[in-house]
Amino acid sequence: MTSTLRNDFLSIAAFAALIVLAVPLFFGFDGYELNTFARYLCLGMVAMALALSWGTAGILNLGQAAPFGLGAYIMAMHLKLMNSTSMPGGMPDFMGWMNIETLPWFWQPFHSLGFTLLAGLLFPAAMAFAIGAFIFKGRVSGVFVAIITLAVLVAIQLLFVEEQGYTGGQNGLTGLALLTIFGVTIDNYSLNFYYLVAASLLIVTVLATMLSRSKAGLVLRAVREDPNRARFLGYDVSNYEILVFSVSAAIAGFAGMLYTLVLQFASPTYMSVSFSLSIVIWCAVGGRESLIGAAIGAIVVNMLEGRLSDVFVEAWLMVLGVLFIAIVLFLPRGLYGLAVSVLDAMRSQDKARHGTTAKTGEPTRPGESASTSPTASLSAGE
Amino acid sequence: MDSAIFFNQLFAGLSTASILLMIAAGLAIIYGSMGVINLAHGEFVMLGAYATWALQTFFGLGMLISLPLVFVAIGAVGWLIEKGIVSRLYNRPLDTILATWGVGIVLQQAITLGIGSQSRFVQRPEIFDGNLFFGDLVISNYRLFILGVSLGMLLVTYLLLTRTEFGTKLRAVIQNREISECYGIRAERVYGLTFAYGAALAGIAGALVTPLISTTPTMGTTLVVDAFLVVIVGGVGSLVGTALASGLIGEASAMLSMIFNDTTGRILLLVAIILLIRFRPTGLIPQTVRG
Amino acid sequence: MAQLEIRDLTVDFGGFRAVDGLNLNVEKGELLCLLGPNGAGKSTTLDLICGKTQPTSGKVVFDGATITNLPEFKRARHGVGRKFQIPSVFKRLTVRENLELARSQRPGVWANITRILAKPSEALEKIMETVGLTDQRHVLAENLSHGQTQWLEIAMLLSQDCKLLLMDEPTAGMTASETQRTAAILEKLHGERTIVVVEHDMQFVRKVARRITVLHQGSVLAEGSIKDIESNPEVRSAYLGH
Repeated sequence: MTSTLRNDFLSIAAFAALIVLAVPLFFGFDGYELNTFARYLCLGMVAMALALSWGTAGILNLGQAAPFGLGAYIMAMHLKLMNSTSMPGGMPDFMGWMNIETLPWFWQPFHSLGFTLLAGLLFPAAMAFAIGAFIFKGRVSGVFVAIITLAVLVAIQLLFVEEQGYTGGQNGLTGLALLTIFGVTIDNYSLNFYYLVAASLLIVTVLATMLSRSKAGLVLRAVREDPNRARFLGYDVSNYEILVFSVSAAIAGFAGMLYTLVLQFASPTYMSVSFSLSIVIWCAVGGRESLIGAAIGAIVVNMLEGRLSDVFVEAWLMVLGVLFIAIVLFLPRGLYGLAVSVLDAMRSQDKARHGTTAKTGEPTRPGESASTSPTASLSAGE
Repeated sequence: MDSAIFFNQLFAGLSTASILLMIAAGLAIIYGSMGVINLAHGEFVMLGAYATWALQTFFGLGMLISLPLVFVAIGAVGWLIEKGIVSRLYNRPLDTILATWGVGIVLQQAITLGIGSQSRFVQRPEIFDGNLFFGDLVISNYRLFILGVSLGMLLVTYLLLTRTEFGTKLRAVIQNREISECYGIRAERVYGLTFAYGAALAGIAGALVTPLISTTPTMGTTLVVDAFLVVIVGGVGSLVGTALASGLIGEASAMLSMIFNDTTGRILLLVAIILLIRFRPTGLIPQTVRG
Repeated sequence: MAQLEIRDLTVDFGGFRAVDGLNLNVEKGELLCLLGPNGAGKSTTLDLICGKTQPTSGKVVFDGATITNLPEFKRARHGVGRKFQIPSVFKRLTVRENLELARSQRPGVWANITRILAKPSEALEKIMETVGLTDQRHVLAENLSHGQTQWLEIAMLLSQDCKLLLMDEPTAGMTASETQRTAAILEKLHGERTIVVVEHDMQFVRKVARRITVLHQGSVLAEGSIKDIESNPEVRSAYLGH
């Protein structure tokens, strides 16, 4: 096993211990208390999705909230239908208010939970695939990808707010049933529910790590640095970009589905520009190069918000904005980068003390640690 | 169709275009010369509007007197932001987007916290009250005034970039920063002033727009999306392109919202942005005048 | 039929013809040196072969297939490899990762998504040994010396296992002994792979070149052995100016 894989294994194990043991212990295994933390874990998952495309391949997706929101709405549609069985025609209440006569065809399949779960993953992924194919085959890159993804997000949100009769408009989808799976109804304030969310996050972490450590992940890191050079080696770069873009959307869709389960409603604010910005901020705070780092960034910022927004009330967004600028300027690799530099410094000090400076004459950067941590240089892969 | 409605809508489009032009020109200059996509640009517009409101409310200054003050004030804000933040990120374009986005949030929140999020109104200059009538076509004097200011700004900017020493230096820095510095041009000063000028233009646009739309902390966000479209359509680095694109977008959005509703109009505009970036990343009009 | 055939290749950069009606044949296993004064179109010729630049007219045939307008990654899959004038390796990847990337015999997404990098293959070990980077395998490419970076890129070409190697000034910035070593590597490859080298260092050219083509203003000025070229009066005047 190489040192990289060992490090991955250790960090996933530590992360698992944190969210499966330490956190529930801290909250006394109380499901009600843990509901808030389950929310943070969902946000951690969508931050991880962004880190996968931004950190690995340098694709800054400013519209990451779109697949998240789609996943959330898809889950909410199922739960809404489950709660509307006693209504005339099994129609959700808000449709009646908008004088819609029959349940629209695209609502019909969401009676099935199986379809819903698949759609929550595949629909955002398919959409990302289409958008990704459209932009990456045209070799659009860098800031233009950022602008396009932002425009897509705004268009989708406008559409959802506008089509009140089908989406609940500004109010979103509320009055949802609890999820019933294999005859078991899952209470979103139970300990079991927390473990469902935590396990989902761990599964996603393992899969995403495997992707980033595969040869395909290596190609993506090469694309982040120099897409043209990668093409001269025979890689059809756009295919790799489309892949990571779609996988990232599927993960975001999954996170969105869980988020609806946690909060019991879906709202167009899940697809707002400011929510999308928040995802980028969490990722930047945690460190976009590290999947777990990004998730921890989301958890930490949201915990801070939970604590501090009582103190600052309205100023919270301002605090977040200032924090974000500071991170971009002074800590572009986020908390993860900080941790890596501290560890590196400690290690080289350790070596110096034992009188065994680097063998190959590389003074400050021991080969092993370098291989697991890209350097401190900053560009985001343009 | 009733031709009066059509022509009135046509003029409304032109009026929108003139405001867009001022916002987009600043954006285009900053992007074309420094490669910085300034997501805080809408907030410069918003600050310009609030500055005008404040001067009128607290000092009783009319808009015409306020304009130069607003120009200087917002220019100064732009200069500070360039010095403090943007200048540290020159070879990191994606990070610049993020940082200016953060700046936008902070400015918006600062105004929300300091002044409040309710709408504010500014009186237009009295000499521009009233309308001109051409048959059924009604043209507001004030909108005509904005059109004039906007074209004036365009001319001044053009001369600034082509006929002044500053313009020459700027063009030199755009072409090759290192070599320009060897000839004693202080690139970081040129950049700072360019950013300040772009911001100041946005500020003026904000000041002029206040009597027409309600002034809120989020007013810049909507305006800046259209301005981005203008820059993309016009092609960066081309003032003529920016002007033509402003006309096109102004008219297109006026016509689209007349034919469809506002939301559909906006969605169509966004789709247009996406298609343009994909198929004509250098804009519809190739670069003619750099700067 | 030659392995690489270039017919009437022309590229026009807005009125400036960097390559103008160029004809060139390179046989399998041959090592051809491209010489010529600055602006003669040497690097552009390599760009046109590897797909970095699209020609205005003309034809590039490689191994019997017309590759004139293929995207660069497809040409790479045909076996065309390129070493750039400014060494272009992935600076933030390690030596080994760079070499693994270059081993792109299966470049598809699906083939690579399930592949986890374990131990380096024997072939890779051998390549690292050949260029003397075995001890640097875990070092980030940005921490290599200039000569090592050049070798890394050469090693990437070897790892890519391409049939045609296009090398743009492989010895630029190398010390005399490093140049010697590069020459030795090329010597070893000669016969096995087809190589086109652009180089200014005449000592190096003398050592490796069997056949030399001199370009001037985008087309062939002279062709022949090193002796022919050195005694050719037209070449002299092209270098010295008119």
